[in-house]
Amino acid sequence: MNAHRPRRSSLRWFSPRPARTLVRVAIAAIALTLLSGCAEWGFGGSGSANGTVTLVYSLWDTHEQVGYQQSINVFEKMHPDIKVDIEEIPYGSYQQKVTAEFITGQAPDLFWVNTPWLGSFVKNGMLTNLTPLIQASHINMAQYYPQLVALHSVGPKIYGLPKDWDTIALYYNKAYFNKLHLAIPANLSWNANGTGSFVTFLKAATTDKSGHNALSPQFNPNQVATYALGVSNDPQSGWGNYTAQAGGKIIPYPYAPVASLTTPQVNVGMSFLADTLTNAHVIVPGALSGPNANGNNLEQMFSQGQVAMWENGDWNTLAVKTSVTFPVGVATLPIGPVGRVSVFNGLIDGLNSHTKYPKQAWELEQWLGSPQSQAILGSGGYVWPAIRSLDPLFLKYWAKNGIDMSAFLTEAHGQVVNFPVSPGVGDALTEVVNDLGPAWLGTEPTHQALKTAQTDANYILRTS
Amino acid sequence: MSVAAATTVIGKHRTTAVTSNPDRRRRVRTAFLFLTPSLIGVVLFLVIPVIFVMVLSLTRWNLLTPIKWVGFSNYANIFRFDGFGHSLLVTAYYVLLNIPVQTVLALGLALLLNSKRTGSALIRVICVLPFLATPVAMGVVWNWFFSPTGMINQFLAHLGITGPAWLSDQATAMPVIAFANIWQYAGYNMLFFLAGLQAIPLSLYEAASIDGGSKIQQFRRVTLPLLRPALMFVLVTGVIGSFQVFDTVYVMTAGGPGNATKVANLNIYNTAFAGFRIGEASAMSVVLFLIILVVAIGQFTYFNRRTTYEIA
Amino acid sequence: MASVASVTPAARSASAATTTTSRPPLGKGIRLTLFYLLLLVIAAVFITPYLFSAFAAFKTLPEILAQSPARPPTNPTWDNFKTIFTQYDFGRYLLNTLIVTVILTAGQVTFSMMGAYAFARMEFPGRDGLFWMYLATLMVPNVVTMVPLYVMFAHSGLLNTYWAIFLPYVLGVPASVFLMRQYFMTIPKEVMEAARLDGCSESRILWRIVVPISRPIIITATLLAVVFGWNNFLWPLIVTNSNALQVLPVATANLNSNFNSQWNLVLAGSLVALIPMVILFAIFQKYIVRSISLTGINR
Repeated sequence: MNAHRPRRSSLRWFSPRPARTLVRVAIAAIALTLLSGCAEWGFGGSGSANGTVTLVYSLWDTHEQVGYQQSINVFEKMHPDIKVDIEEIPYGSYQQKVTAEFITGQAPDLFWVNTPWLGSFVKNGMLTNLTPLIQASHINMAQYYPQLVALHSVGPKIYGLPKDWDTIALYYNKAYFNKLHLAIPANLSWNANGTGSFVTFLKAATTDKSGHNALSPQFNPNQVATYALGVSNDPQSGWGNYTAQAGGKIIPYPYAPVASLTTPQVNVGMSFLADTLTNAHVIVPGALSGPNANGNNLEQMFSQGQVAMWENGDWNTLAVKTSVTFPVGVATLPIGPVGRVSVFNGLIDGLNSHTKYPKQAWELEQWLGSPQSQAILGSGGYVWPAIRSLDPLFLKYWAKNGIDMSAFLTEAHGQVVNFPVSPGVGDALTEVVNDLGPAWLGTEPTHQALKTAQTDANYILRTS
Repeated sequence: MSVAAATTVIGKHRTTAVTSNPDRRRRVRTAFLFLTPSLIGVVLFLVIPVIFVMVLSLTRWNLLTPIKWVGFSNYANIFRFDGFGHSLLVTAYYVLLNIPVQTVLALGLALLLNSKRTGSALIRVICVLPFLATPVAMGVVWNWFFSPTGMINQFLAHLGITGPAWLSDQATAMPVIAFANIWQYAGYNMLFFLAGLQAIPLSLYEAASIDGGSKIQQFRRVTLPLLRPALMFVLVTGVIGSFQVFDTVYVMTAGGPGNATKVANLNIYNTAFAGFRIGEASAMSVVLFLIILVVAIGQFTYFNRRTTYEIA
Repeated sequence: MASVASVTPAARSASAATTTTSRPPLGKGIRLTLFYLLLLVIAAVFITPYLFSAFAAFKTLPEILAQSPARPPTNPTWDNFKTIFTQYDFGRYLLNTLIVTVILTAGQVTFSMMGAYAFARMEFPGRDGLFWMYLATLMVPNVVTMVPLYVMFAHSGLLNTYWAIFLPYVLGVPASVFLMRQYFMTIPKEVMEAARLDGCSESRILWRIVVPISRPIIITATLLAVVFGWNNFLWPLIVTNSNALQVLPVATANLNSNFNSQWNLVLAGSLVALIPMVILFAIFQKYIVRSISLTGINR
C-alpha cells in the first residue's frame, strides 16, 4: 500500500474540477481553430491583401527559374495588382506533390506540366480548358509549332499555351573527331537489318586503347577507350527516337489505354541499339551507362572523353557547357527506315481548375505564352521558344557561347513524333524502362523484354 | 490524500443505505460519459477505417476521378504487378533478422543489469535512451555512420578490412536497417524483462539450488518459464511493430538498392500516396493485416498453452 | 499474482541470475571486471550515436569530413543551427511539433484515463464487451488505417491542418486505456465504494482520489504519448504537404533528401529532433522504470 501514498504538495494541479476542465478544453479548441486557420502564417500560399493578388507558380528547374523570374518581373510591372511567388518543387516528386496539393485544395495557381503526367492531370480534372479563353482573347495559335498545339490538346480543348520545345540530337566531342580526322557526314542512315552508313561511321569513331578503330581487325572490344555513341534506356532521349525512326509507336494514339511495344517496328528500333550496336561494341554497354542502362553515367563519360557522341535533349546544353573542356558540336540523329525522326516534347503552364483567382491566373498564362515573355527566355538561352519565329534568339545565344544548336532546329522542322500522352504514361514508362534493362544488359532477348514491358505498361495505362 | 486516510475519513460518514437506483443510473450515465471520447476515437479512427479499407480494396480510385468497382482483382494484381509478394518476403526477412536478435539482446541486458552493483542503475537508464529517438532523425545519423566513408568503415579500415557500401549493397542493406531497429528498441524491451525478473521470488531460486541445480538449470527451470508473460508481450508487440517498419527504411534506403528493402509498408505508401492508387494500396493493407493477425494469434495460442502465471 | 506485490523491486530477487550457494570465489575479480567491461560497451553502443552526431552538429562540413567522428569539435560553431533555423524554417517546425504534441498528449491522456477508470472501477452494462472491443483494436496495425483515414480526412477537408495531425490520437487510444486500466485495477475497490457511499460523484472520485494516487502511471502514459507525438512520422507525412505545417520528423526527412551529403546541416536538424526527448527523459526517468513493474505485465 505504501506506493500509493502521494506527496501532497506537488499534486494540486492534478485535480481540477470537471467544469474547469471543460473550460480549458473549450479554450484549447478555440485556440486550435484559430491556429489551424493561420497555418500558413504568411508562408506563401495564394492570397489577396488590399487589392493585390498573389499567385503561386511552381516549377522544378533551378536554372530556368532565373529566366522565368526575369520574365515575371516584367509581368509584375505591367500588372501592379498581381504578384507572383515562384515555388520550386524537385522534379522527382513533382507530379506527386502537385496532385497531393490539389487534393487538399492548395495546389498552385499555375504550374509546369510535363507530358508524362499531362494525361493524368487532364483526366483528374486538375487543368482548365483554355480554348474559350483563347478565343475570347483572340490569341493566334498559328504562331506556335502545330505539333505542340496537338500535344497539349484533347480534341478541341487545349490545356496550356505552348511555351517551349525540345528535340533530341547528338552532342559530339569536336576535339576527338579532329584528332581522328573524321568529319561527321550529314545524312547517316541505318537499315532494319542493321547495316548502313551510320553503323560504319560509328565503327570508325570507336577506338580501343591501342588506337585501333572498330573497323580494324586488331580492334580489341574488351579494351575500348572511346565508344562512338552513348544512348540511354529512355523513351524520350534514348531508344524512343530509334523506335520512331523504324516506324513504331510507344502507344498507338494519344490517351490510349494500352501500349504498342510489341510491334515489329518497335522491335527493330530497340534491337538496333540493344543488339546490333551493342554487339558491334560501338555503343556504351548497358552495364556501364548506369543502373538499368538509364544513361546516368553518360554525361560524365562524355566529358571525360570516353564517349564521342552523347545523344540527349537540348535541355542539357548548359550542363554540357560547364562540364566539358573541349569544343562541342551538335549533329542530327541518323535517318532510319522511315526517316530522320526525333521525339518532340514541350512544357505548358497548367492553370489550376480550382484556382481562387482565375482572372489573374489567365493573365499570367497569357503572358508566359506571349512573344514578349518567350523572347526573354529564348534570348537568355534557357529554352527553345514555342513560337517558331523566335527560335533564332535561342540559336544566337548559344552560337555566341560556342555551341551550334542548329541540329536541334533542323529536326524540329523535320519529322518529329510527339512524346506519348495518356493517363499514367509516366509511371508506365518507368516500368517499361525497368523491364528493358535486361535487354540492354544482354541478359534477356529484346523481344522478350518488350513483351514484359508491354504487359506491365498495359496494366498501368488501363488502371490509371 | 493517501488511500488509507481516504478510507478512514470517508468511512466515518458511511450511511446505512448501500446504493439507490437513481444514484446508480447517474453513475452509469457518468460511466458512459467517461467512455465517450475514447469510444468515439476507437470507432471513428480504428473500427470504421478497418471496414472502410476492406471496401476500398474492391475499388479502383485515385480520389479525383469517379470510383470504379473492380471486385477482388486488386488482390491478384498487387502480387502480379506491384511486387507486393516480394515486399512481403522482404518484410518477413526483416522480422526474422530483427526480432530474435532484439529479444535475446533485451533478455541478456535484463539478466546482466538486474543487479545492485553500482553503475547498473545508470546503465539501465542509458539503455532506454534510444527508445526516445525519432526513428527518422536516428536514420540520418545511421546514414552518416554507415556511409562508404563513414565511421563504421573508418573503424574497419583500422582493422585492415574494407567495409562494404552498407546501404547500397543488396546483401547488407537490410541487416543495417535491422540493426538500427534493434539498437532503438532493445533497451525498451529490456524493461519488460526486468519487471518480469524482479517479480520472481528469491525463494524459488533458493529452492532450486538446494535441490542441486546449477545456474544454467535454474535459468531454464525457474527464470525462463516465469518470464513467459514478459516474453510473450515483447514478442507479440515486437512482431506486430516489425511488420510495419517504415520510418527507418524511408530515410535510409527508400526501398533500395533495387527493391532489396522495399518493405510492405513502403510499398503501400508509394502505391497510395505517390501513385494515388487507393484500391491497390487498400488491398495491400488488408493482406498485411491478415498476415499480422495470423502471426499474432499464432503467438498467443503458442504461449497460452505453455505459460505459467501463478507462482504461489 | 497481484502486481502490487511487485512494487518494491528491491525486496525481490535483485540478482535473479545469481544464487547464494556454491560459487568459486576465485573468478569473482574476473567476473567483476568482465561485468564492468560489458557495461562500458553497452553504454558506448547506446550513447555514441547521440554523442557523435552532437559533435558533428557543431562542426563545419570540411571538419566533419576530415576529422574522426569521435573527436569533439575544436571550434564549436552554432552556424549549422543558425542556417537551419533562419534559412530552413526549423523554428517553425519545432513550434508545429510542440503544438501538435501538447494537444495530442493532453487529450490522449485525459480521455484515456477517463475511459480506463470507467472500465476498471465502474459498473455499467456492456462493460466487458466494450473492453474486449478495445483490446481487439489493439491488434489493428497503423498500416491498415492509414489509407482509409487519409480518404476520410480528404473528404472532410481536414487535410493539411494541425487537426489532421493529432485528431486520430487525441480522443484516447486503446493502448493508453489498457495501460491505465491495469493500474486502476490495483486500487482496492473499497476505496471507491466508500467514496460512493459517501455521496461522491464518479467525477470527484476520479479526479480527487484516483488521479492523485496514480501519478506514476499517468506520468508514464503522458511520457509515452509525448514520445509518440513527437516522433510520429508516417501519418504527418501523409496528411500534410505544405512546408509550413511540417513537424520535425518530416522536416528532418526532407532536409535529408534535399541536402543529404551536407552532414553538418542534416545532423544539426536531427539533433533538434532528438534532444528535447532526451531532456524530458532525464527529468522523468525514474517514473518510467518504476511504472513498468506496476502494470502487472507479468500477470
